[in-house]
Amino acid sequence: MAGNPPPDEVLGIEDLHVTVHDGAATAIRGVSLSVRTGEIVGLVGESGSGKTLTCRAALGVIPASCAISQGTISFGRQDVTDLSRRGWERLHGTGMGAVFQDPASYLNPNLTVGSQLAEVLRVKQRMPRRQAHRTSIELFTAVGLHGPERVFHQIPAELSGGMLQRVMIAIAISCGPRLLIADEATTALDVTIQAEIIELLRDLRDQRGLAVLFVSHDLAVIRELCDRVVVFYAGEVVESGSVEEIIERPSHPYTQALLRVASVGDYGRRELQVIPGQPPRVGAEITGCRFAARCPAAIAACRSGPVDLTMLAHGHDARCVRASDPELAAITAAAPADGLVAPDAELAVR
Amino acid sequence: MSAQATDAEPLLSVEEVDVILGRGWRANQVLSGVGLKIWPGEIVGLVGETGSGKTTLARTVVGLITPRKGRVVFDGTETSRLRGGARRRERRSGHVQLVFQDPLRSLDPDLTVAQIVGEGLAIRGGIDSEEIRSRVEDALAKVGLDATVLHRQPGQISGGQRQRVSIARALASGPRLLLCDEPVSALDASNRNYILRLLSHVRDSLDLPIVIISHDLSSLAGIADRVVVLYRGRIVEDGPVSQVFSAPRHPYTALLMASAPSISTQGVKHDRPLSVHQLRRTAADPPPPSGPDACVFAARCPFAIDVCAAQPAREQVAAGWSAACHRHEEWAGLTRARTSSVVLT
Repeated sequence: MAGNPPPDEVLGIEDLHVTVHDGAATAIRGVSLSVRTGEIVGLVGESGSGKTLTCRAALGVIPASCAISQGTISFGRQDVTDLSRRGWERLHGTGMGAVFQDPASYLNPNLTVGSQLAEVLRVKQRMPRRQAHRTSIELFTAVGLHGPERVFHQIPAELSGGMLQRVMIAIAISCGPRLLIADEATTALDVTIQAEIIELLRDLRDQRGLAVLFVSHDLAVIRELCDRVVVFYAGEVVESGSVEEIIERPSHPYTQALLRVASVGDYGRRELQVIPGQPPRVGAEITGCRFAARCPAAIAACRSGPVDLTMLAHGHDARCVRASDPELAAITAAAPADGLVAPDAELAVR
Repeated sequence: MSAQATDAEPLLSVEEVDVILGRGWRANQVLSGVGLKIWPGEIVGLVGETGSGKTTLARTVVGLITPRKGRVVFDGTETSRLRGGARRRERRSGHVQLVFQDPLRSLDPDLTVAQIVGEGLAIRGGIDSEEIRSRVEDALAKVGLDATVLHRQPGQISGGQRQRVSIARALASGPRLLLCDEPVSALDASNRNYILRLLSHVRDSLDLPIVIISHDLSSLAGIADRVVVLYRGRIVEDGPVSQVFSAPRHPYTALLMASAPSISTQGVKHDRPLSVHQLRRTAADPPPPSGPDACVFAARCPFAIDVCAAQPAREQVAAGWSAACHRHEEWAGLTRARTSSVVLT
């Protein structure tokens, strides 16, 4: 890693490359991102863009057929790229916690949720039984579960999806981690519950200075919660910056398209837009911009060679040769909303 | 588009339906006095949270669940009373089709797309295989899929394509009413918009009424004509989308609207007059009336008062618009006072 990381950086990913299918294809190409103390960073992109794989690499739990082929991951001041299994076990829970999309599948259906939280405290913190019980109740209260004493003795099937997600969050923060990774943690929840979980994550950040890496495919959710956003496309970071900056001045055509399809929440009758085409297959070798085939503003320069992330303003980067072109936004906005062309229909090369 | 002319006959009429699932101590009343009418050619959004009874209502309409009380009338036939051969004939006619939630689990993983879409026609009988093949291709074309997917299995196509196969399966039988259970909840924003546009296009080209079940109001805004809001087994509001979304008459509808995330950059969400903080109960609110007869929403409602100890009937608030709230005319005026008392974080 070049130089020393800033003192408050919790997670630093530098030029990460991850191969899949035992090295047959590269799914993540040169991803760099950082999360600082008390910061909520959102990862957004279509399914298959590499958001989840990046999270799993940061958690040290990439699938067996995948491997980090290049780049470094640091946690605090520690380089964890080649950390041993034992080393990761020490970090999990106490250093970083994680919450995923489907809370029910991460809990044992036969044990009470309280015993599953207390177990973590007893194993990781070596707490005596009584103290683990007391701390569990405190944690259940902290994540906003009503009647924590009762919830403690309930099994997962007796709790709703929103309550289970709160239990998962309680488990994830139980050992005082510095980083919480939430991978589509609100996607499966009702909108009212989603709004509550978003508030909870924000409160945890405010009260505990937790750093959060929040993955979602919905820019509107990211907008509600995050400070900074990193946009993924086909295994690359195509744009990153503060949420306000990205939403007000999106500079990559893909981000602009994502904004147009996002749930705008204006409840008016409107034209529902679609991003034509589909992302390239994992491992597809493409010269130049990986979004060019779907981009209404693509020009010859887009396909002639690799496009680098360039800084447009302080903390705002985009990977587009036309990012500074004042006409770019107008061109992508005027792109025909192709009637009913299926998103996976073959696109003629523009 | 809403064919809401009061004199026109509804295509589907669900009348005072109670559904109780389970027996004995497990018995659970899932729907209570649900009344719903669907007119030809309209798109109706059925909204509510998990466990509100949306799926149960859809299953009752297609005849997978028999209501304990009330009746389901489709085009003049009381389908909820049909038994035996008559029921089988009605089902095989394919008049009412349901697109199930989660295509990955509702499509047989061992069948090809061609078999899945054609299976219902084959079971119906009286259609030769040549005809079935052409109808299958026709149904797939309607959802924007070409013949290349015909021989693939559900596991080999993308999530958006699977959802379209589910819709094609329902369209293959030539339905007169289509119900879609959470057709877009598992999809990303672009695919979600595509499926919604597709359904809107299907309605326009086939004049097919469609009921779209969703837990997210904002995804319906672009296409639905009418919205029906369910809360714990009761319909709390039913009205034209444009009117309900501009001034909801039930506090739960307003809470659903305020909860949806928004991309809007303005600090004040001008398009959403109310914030969730104004619509959630706080410790300062007086305890709500409770008891078996209380309004189902009272426990979560910041505006609940003594009259809410009795379940409100659904009243007409305007033409084609009804809400089940004792205070449907007052509560919106009380939200303003709540802003000052709640410190926004």
